[in-house]
Parts: sequence; structure tokens; C-alpha cells
Amino acid sequence: MRSPAASNAARETIRTTRPETNHTDHDETVRSDHTDGERSNHTDGERSNHTDGERSDHAGRPETREPPVIEVSNLTKRYDEVVAVDDVSFSVEQGTILGVLGPNGAGKTTLLKAMLGLLVPTEGTVRVCGIDVHDDPERAYRRVGATLEGARNVYWRLTVRENLAFFGGLAGESARDPAVKARHDTLLDQLDLLDRGDDVVNELSRGMKQKVALACALARDVDVAFLDEPTLGLDVESSVDLRRELRRLADERGLTVVLTSHDMSVVEDLCDRVLVVNQGQVVADDGVTSLVELFRTSAVRIVVDGRLSATTEQAIRADYTVESWETDGDRTRALVALEEANDLPALSARFVEGGGRLVSVNTVEPDLTEAFLQLTGSESTTRGTR
Amino acid sequence: MSSNATTKETAREMLILLGAVARKQYILLRRYPVNTVGGLLAIYVFFALIFFGGRAVAGPAFDDSLDSLIVGYFLVTMAFSAYQDLAGNVMTEAQWGTLEQLYMAPVGFGRVMAAKTVVNVAFSFLWGGATLVLMLVTTGRTLSVDLLTVVPVGVFALASVVGVGFVMAGLALLYKRVNSIFGLLQFGFIGLAAAPVEAAPVLKLLPLAQGSFMLQRAMTGGVRLWEFPLREVGILVAVGMGYVVVGYFVFRLLTRRARQRGVLGHY
Repeated sequence: MRSPAASNAARETIRTTRPETNHTDHDETVRSDHTDGERSNHTDGERSNHTDGERSDHAGRPETREPPVIEVSNLTKRYDEVVAVDDVSFSVEQGTILGVLGPNGAGKTTLLKAMLGLLVPTEGTVRVCGIDVHDDPERAYRRVGATLEGARNVYWRLTVRENLAFFGGLAGESARDPAVKARHDTLLDQLDLLDRGDDVVNELSRGMKQKVALACALARDVDVAFLDEPTLGLDVESSVDLRRELRRLADERGLTVVLTSHDMSVVEDLCDRVLVVNQGQVVADDGVTSLVELFRTSAVRIVVDGRLSATTEQAIRADYTVESWETDGDRTRALVALEEANDLPALSARFVEGGGRLVSVNTVEPDLTEAFLQLTGSESTTRGTR
Repeated sequence: MSSNATTKETAREMLILLGAVARKQYILLRRYPVNTVGGLLAIYVFFALIFFGGRAVAGPAFDDSLDSLIVGYFLVTMAFSAYQDLAGNVMTEAQWGTLEQLYMAPVGFGRVMAAKTVVNVAFSFLWGGATLVLMLVTTGRTLSVDLLTVVPVGVFALASVVGVGFVMAGLALLYKRVNSIFGLLQFGFIGLAAAPVEAAPVLKLLPLAQGSFMLQRAMTGGVRLWEFPLREVGILVAVGMGYVVVGYFVFRLLTRRARQRGVLGHY
């Protein structure tokens, strides 16, 4: 969160640390070649790095453009002089899994709560399935399920099924209705909770509790799920299970998911699109692959035997972008960004001419973490430590 | 959908909601029997201490005021239960993080709170009824318990307490730490139940006071609901409903303020 006075300065900082791109139709937001509201490059190419291989067409849904399921327009939340969410606009199409990333205090949870109507925004509107969340919350909530970070979200002293029945009751759904009961059974089965349905939630593991919260959020056959840190505290297996279920629900049921996470692997693995929030603003809105590509540079890690002279180091630094340079005994390690891949032989030659013997030359692949750090203006650490 | 169909659908949803809230409360009472019985026992033991202690100190003279004591204790037990179940429950739900889920209820947060209130008052009558039976058995006294009188008078008496509970719940959402006032108000109910409304009729406007006065007359004097002057019944209803309406309005106002400040679910 920050003050309005700091707003412009911060905006400038973010803009200048970001490389030039050819696709910034919004002056502040890094956005790829899709228009506002369209699904980003959810093309086969982008999803090819996902193992399930079924994400390209969302289970064969037609490619026709439908109205966005979520439309956020100029959403702003101020607390006195502090701007927690600053003029945020975006839209999300059906079946999309949107990840909201941002450092601590960036405004992710505030954004999510404002989208859910749990916060009264200072300005702006949020529409879910065409319904204004703040003007007509009850209708909007019929289409929405949510789990919030740091909250139990469900009643721990009730069983899994009792929770489902209670939350169904909040929507006027009777658990005695065979159709509702069947839906609960299906959901429990999908989340691998069927045989734990009569267990008191308090007796379940943390991962299971998280699944119960998800089940309750989805029990009403909602169109949109808002999930704040859904994998927080889960072990690897539970986290993978949960991701798989969310992916399947998005693909098979057309569920639209908005999730926040600090876990880059969750976002990278699961999300179709990523919204990077920093200091209350959306600084990037794109597909995972596109964001990674945006920050792709031909960086190489060169390791040579031999301590290179300071003159050689200075000369290389003068001609190339050296991201790190370490000398460890008789071994020198450098991470160097290349403008052209063809520059590699010349760069290698400079190390050899400086008295080094090449041990290894590796290309460094960028990832979402790197993109995130650059977008949020945080210091890049991943390349330096790998 | 026609307005008739909409009304029917709303009524159906409200019934299901009431069922869901009541079922949850019942499950918790049944699942934790030690807690349930312990709560009832604590209320009874406190009465027994007053009763046997009073008799030991005041002798037979104590019996003169025993009927009033029983009725007052019956009403205060129900008031504590209704107040705690509403205000205390909102605080607990905020701590748990389930309050935000209730806020997002598709039937509407207002209806959820209304359903919770109805169920709370109904359960308060159960607690009060059980305590009353234990008190009557212990003291060997007989009181007039005409349900057609006791229930409506009790409901409107508790309605004023519910109104106060709504205000406290709203304050708890906004300011979080309100336990000291919360406890203080509970003691206040004891005083209100014993308020001398005949000597100072203006006290009838305070929560619980008019209800307590009428309940005393109904249970100790055998006065039926329709035997009360219309004015007295009117005051009971107006005060009860007034507190509920104003209390709920303040609750919604404070809830909105909590949403503006972003502290709805925080504790």
C-alpha cells in the first residue's frame, strides 16, 4: 500500500525497470497481443509446457467470444491517504484460471475482497456474470464461491457433509434434494473426500481442510471461484491434487477461477493468465509464457578455470551486461546477458583471452519468478543463485 | 418469474435457511454433550446457590419473593442465551473467518442474521424452559405457564435484547475488542429485568423491563395475554420491535463501516 503522492513515482519506477515491449496498449500494464478482456495467448503454444496437454481448448469449447464473466472497471480502494488498489481494470472470460501475483502488501487480497464486495471500493465497479457485485450482491453471490486466506472458511466442528449442507442452505438449497445430494457426492468424489464425508473437519489434515473449503465454495455449482492462497500450507501432494482439480473444473465445467498465490509454481503450472499487482496497480496482465518471454534475454552462465584480471573483468563489463561475477579460488563464474545469441563465441573468446579455461557455458532460461521480480521491481535473485 | 412465484421461492429458501441454521445449532449441542449439559448445570448451580443461600440467610421470608426470583431468573437466562448467541457468535464467526462466508450468502446476509436470530431465540426458550423446570422442581413451587402468554411476552422481551445484541455485534466487527462492554451489558440485563416499571413507567422503554414486568404478572399472577391492557401489550411490542429494528439498522451501518475499513473478517 502506498500514498497517492508516491503513486506516480512508483509507477515510473516500474515502467523504467521494464524492458521495452511492443504490446503495451495500456500505458501502465504489460499486456500481450490480446485486447482487454480477451483471454491472453491461451494458444496451444503457451500451454504446451503443461503436462496434461488438454488446456488449449478448454475441453473443446467453441472459440466464439462470449461476454467476460468478470469485469473490473477502474477499481480503487483508498484508506485515508493510502491507496491499496489503484484504478484497476481487467476482465476475465469463462473457464480461465487467472492468477493474481504480487509481493506482500501489494494489494492482492484487497483486490480480491473488493471484487467480492467484502470491501466497499472508493471508486469503480465489479461485475460478475453481468451482475454488479456492489449493487446487487445477493444475485452475484449466487454465481460465486470463495475461500479466503487465513480463514477457516468452514465450520471445523461440523462434518464435511454437514458443512456442505449448511453452505447449501445459505443459498436456499436443501441437502435433502436428490440433485443437490448427487452434486455434493460428485464434488466429494472429485476432491477425494467421499470416504471422509462424515468426518468432523477438525480431525482432517490441513490439506483436506483446504479441500473441504474448496468443496464448500463450489458446492453450489458456481460459475466463478475466488481463491485466496488456496495452496498455502499444503504439502506437495495436496497442492498438486488441488491444482489438478481446479484445472479439471475449469476445463470440464467452465469454472472461472481467480486465485492469489505466492507460489510461483502453482501459478506457472495452473494459470492461463497472470495479473501481477504491485503497489495496488496491475503492472502486468498476460499469459505465463508471454510474461516469461517478455523478460527473456539470451543470458549465459560461463564458468572458467583461472582468476581473470580486473582489467579483463572491466573490459567484459564495458561491452556486455554482466548480471553477476564471482571468483571462487581459481574459478570464475559470470552471468552475462547477450543481445544476440551470435555474440556467444566472441564472449567466450574474451574469457579465454583473459587467461581463463572454459569449463562450461549454459544458457539461462527465464521463468515466472524472474518475470515477477522484474515486474515488481524486486531485485532479481534467481539467476544469480542458480 | 411472477411476483407470486418469487415470494414462494423466497419463502422456500427462507425455510431451508432456517432449517440449515437450526440443524447446525442442534448438531453442535448434540455433538458436544458435556458442553451442553455443563452449560445448563452452571446455570442451575448458580440458581441453587441463590436459593439455598437465600433461605439459609433470610429464612422463610425468602419464600415471599421466590416466585419473582424464578421468573426473573428464567427471563435472564433466556436473555443471556439470546444475547450471547447473537453478539458472541458474530465475534466468533469473525475470528474463525466464517463471517465473510455468511456475508456472501446468496440469500442475503440480512436473512442469514434473521434466521440466526429466530433460531437463537427458539433455543433460548429451550434453555430457559429447561432451567425453569429445574427451578420449579428444586423449590417445589408452582407457576402459571400459559404458553399462549409466556411465549409471545418472552419473544418480545427477548427482541429488545436481540436489538442490543445487534449493536454489540456491529461494534465487535468494527472495533474487535469489546469484551468488557459485552460482559457489562450482561449484568445490565439483570438490573433491567428487575426494573421498577410500575414506580417509574419511563423504564418500560428500556430493553427487557416491560417484558419482565408482564412476565412476572403472567407467571406469578396468572394474567393471560388478552387480560393485559392493550396499552401494556402495545408498549411491549413497540419496544421489542423498536430495539430489533434500530439494532439491526445500526448493525448494518457498522457492517458497512467495517467493509469500508476492510476489517469485516479480521479479528
